[in-house]
Amino acid sequence: MNFQSTNPIDGDVKIVRATCTLDCGGRCPLRLYVKNNRIIRVEGDDAEEPEQLRTCLRCRAYRQMVHHPERLLYPQKRIGAKGTGEFERISWDEAYQILAGELTRVKETYGNEGILLATGGGYLGSLHNGGNAAARLLAQFGGFVTHYGNLSSEGAVWASLTQYGSVMVGNSREDLLNSKMIILWGWDPARMISGTNTMYHLIKAKENGAKIIAIDPRYHDTAATLADKWIPIRPGTDTAVMVAMANVMIKENLHDQAFLDRYTVGFDKFKAYVLGQEDGVDKTPSWAAEISGVDAAAIEDLAREYATTEPVALMDCQGPARSAMGEQYNRCAATLCAMTGNVGRSGGSAGGGLMGIPVGHMFRMSSIPPGKNPFELDGPRVKGTLDIRLRVVKRIHVNKIFDAILRGKAGGSPADIKMAWSMCNNYLNQTGNSNKAAKALHKLEFFCVNELFMTAQARYADLVLPVTSAAERSDLTMPWPSGPYFAFVNRALEPLGECKSDLDIASELAEHLGIKDFNPHTEEEWLKMLVELNPEYQKHIKGYHEFKKDGIHRIKLPKPIVAFQEQIEDPENHPFDTPSGKIEIYSQRVADLNNPLCPPIPKYMSTPEDRNDPLIEQYPLQLLTPHAKNRVHSELYNVEWLREVEAHRAWINPIDADPRGVGDGDEIYVFNDRGKVAIPAWVTERIIPGVICIFEGAWYAPDENGIDRGACANTLTNDAYSDGGAAVMNSSLVQVQRA
Amino acid sequence: MQIGFFFDQTRCTGCSACRVACKDWHDISSGPENWMRILYTEKGKFPDVFVSYMVAPCWHCLDPVCIPACPVDAITKRKDDGIVLVESETCLGNMECDEKCHKACPYDAPQFGPEKGAKMRKCNFCMDRFIQGKLPTCIEACPVRALDAGLLVDLEKKYGGIKAVEGFKYAERIKPAVVFKPKASDRSS
Repeated sequence: MNFQSTNPIDGDVKIVRATCTLDCGGRCPLRLYVKNNRIIRVEGDDAEEPEQLRTCLRCRAYRQMVHHPERLLYPQKRIGAKGTGEFERISWDEAYQILAGELTRVKETYGNEGILLATGGGYLGSLHNGGNAAARLLAQFGGFVTHYGNLSSEGAVWASLTQYGSVMVGNSREDLLNSKMIILWGWDPARMISGTNTMYHLIKAKENGAKIIAIDPRYHDTAATLADKWIPIRPGTDTAVMVAMANVMIKENLHDQAFLDRYTVGFDKFKAYVLGQEDGVDKTPSWAAEISGVDAAAIEDLAREYATTEPVALMDCQGPARSAMGEQYNRCAATLCAMTGNVGRSGGSAGGGLMGIPVGHMFRMSSIPPGKNPFELDGPRVKGTLDIRLRVVKRIHVNKIFDAILRGKAGGSPADIKMAWSMCNNYLNQTGNSNKAAKALHKLEFFCVNELFMTAQARYADLVLPVTSAAERSDLTMPWPSGPYFAFVNRALEPLGECKSDLDIASELAEHLGIKDFNPHTEEEWLKMLVELNPEYQKHIKGYHEFKKDGIHRIKLPKPIVAFQEQIEDPENHPFDTPSGKIEIYSQRVADLNNPLCPPIPKYMSTPEDRNDPLIEQYPLQLLTPHAKNRVHSELYNVEWLREVEAHRAWINPIDADPRGVGDGDEIYVFNDRGKVAIPAWVTERIIPGVICIFEGAWYAPDENGIDRGACANTLTNDAYSDGGAAVMNSSLVQVQRA
Repeated sequence: MQIGFFFDQTRCTGCSACRVACKDWHDISSGPENWMRILYTEKGKFPDVFVSYMVAPCWHCLDPVCIPACPVDAITKRKDDGIVLVESETCLGNMECDEKCHKACPYDAPQFGPEKGAKMRKCNFCMDRFIQGKLPTCIEACPVRALDAGLLVDLEKKYGGIKAVEGFKYAERIKPAVVFKPKASDRSS
């Protein structure tokens, strides 16, 4: 045949149905072509259109992750200095002896609270998820200290619980087609996916006539593709603009008072704040313009257009909420949704930033029950609480893990941590202040990491245990912001090298700790139980074996799901799950916290490291750290097919680049008191002046002078959390200098 | 007959799923050899910025210039479907002939690996899929359904005959087999 040979597929190939379980907004079905225990090709979903769930570029490169030459294949122990990555291969038996020995030593010397378990979202399956098996084991071992919250969404979670008493605040994706106007407020699904096919649904909404407005510091790819108008805004000032929009609506009587009267409580108090009756400051568009950099006339126009068009989907998300008062942004967005009567309305939105729907949602998956942690038994009840202070009595906020290691009880941590066991995370890289994290890991007496790769964090371990990838085990998974569908992740490969799942590691470690009968079940038995004992599956799935064979079960919706539709259509019989039974624009529960930084109505407040901070004299640029399209946080960063798609570089406007002598492609230093990174500049008109953007997830790699040559964004961020629990990732001031 | 592509530039987010799917399907190492590439255009001044993306496979031109440029006739155009293919064994490689096909092609379709003596390879319209009646992998990989392929006459009938698009110059003398839905560079339009 007259053509170049491609990638021949012959008879020995089997096709395995799996689904991506990375910590991604997407949850994409995959067909893995497997030959000789190797994935030789990846194809996506093969459902007929329009239901096909198309995977993004990341899983197109899935096999380069699974078969990466740097996969860890054997247990290793450290032989060089911490952080240098010098290790030697050991047997599993020796590895278990070391880990069991350290757990026992720390327990006997310091008590169980000396043991930190660091789990995470690096893998989003049901059975093998971030560390439940290890939590169960350590609970049976007498207890441990762990963390609370996640880095992505705590601001949005707090806002949604406060406003609605629920985290299921999303409409299903196809409902976007019913919108006349869609406001993308900080939301860039072209890059972060935010639910398989979401960008496609947005495009169809646009082609269906919806007007699209993007409010963002960046002219991101979603905006560049769809937006009729881009409104550039300074990071951390979204709430000010929203409050000013409310001001315009109230003064021009454009808000839906009947809706507010019927479904909400506390609008009067919000109104008093907005009009300045509370603090003497009338929150006009000019007031917000000064703060946000958004033209006052643009704020007025947007307020009027939003209030007089129906329905409008205001799509706030989680990015702007990863800031020093992030929850205020989601609460204020939800309040605007109520003021315009868009809550519970098809084509509208409820705000709140979480976008989840209550069918086939990741939160409804079952997992191995971790059991009660003895260390937490005498702690306060935290379920459903809005008081973050209660949540950190017995746990550590996830963005404070390393601070807790460094400062211990004397510094407000619930425990003095002596050793840590980590899995499904790369927190050194992914929480604020990576240099501080490195110091903390140096201080630990012992650190064990379950990992696929020698990540930035694993380099500081004493013991590294090689973990199977999702292709080497079976599991169940569900999406979070899209669907609804359930996925069965079929095992495609025998474990590579001597890799084991986190579950197997915990089970085998149990023997070495003298804990009998820790895991009496096979993987298959577990999966059957997790399906058969889960009411969500039982409502929809006929048989376990059929589900396994198909790899996916799609739930057909007679019409799109609209969040809170019942509460709006029949409020007498369907109260909101809040103390008042209504949408709480004013929350008495929050008022009772008596925390001025956590007000009962949504408010704009100045924060550390915003443009009012005197630190701006020294560090005049705001740092933005969004998701990159070619990795999932720090996962996939070492995959070459993805690396070559887009270089890791810092977005900077010519207005900021020129006076610093920075040209496109020049190596620059971005720095503040916390650290310094070296990264090429991308000089672009697509970012608001005064802001520099470094995508999170690049691997921290300090040189001998402490300059992070990997340009991890978190070398520059702060390990703080807001009063609603949001990890503060987008409230950092920096300076830029040509290298 | 002549196969061709359709590209809806208004939908493309530049995500590069097509490019990665191409590399996966054809098992091409990371590096300079890319049968599908994504070209980027940015115009204007903040805040009035225009951004567009443009896919760049081989356009399987009606009058390909790579064919006469090849000193050893390694490139052929199939009569039945117009697919342009290269016989890599015949190709002299990048050292001996100085990539004449690549220099002749205004679209950089002929691709070479990094190694000395690398033979030319390029988009073959996913010939192995084509034989099975399937569309090229890039088409089915596009998360926003911005790509289509088929017989050029059918594509022209379905999508119109527009040949002009941002980031691409239609060369009349070689006639790339593609039609577009272009993105207007004036955002207010």
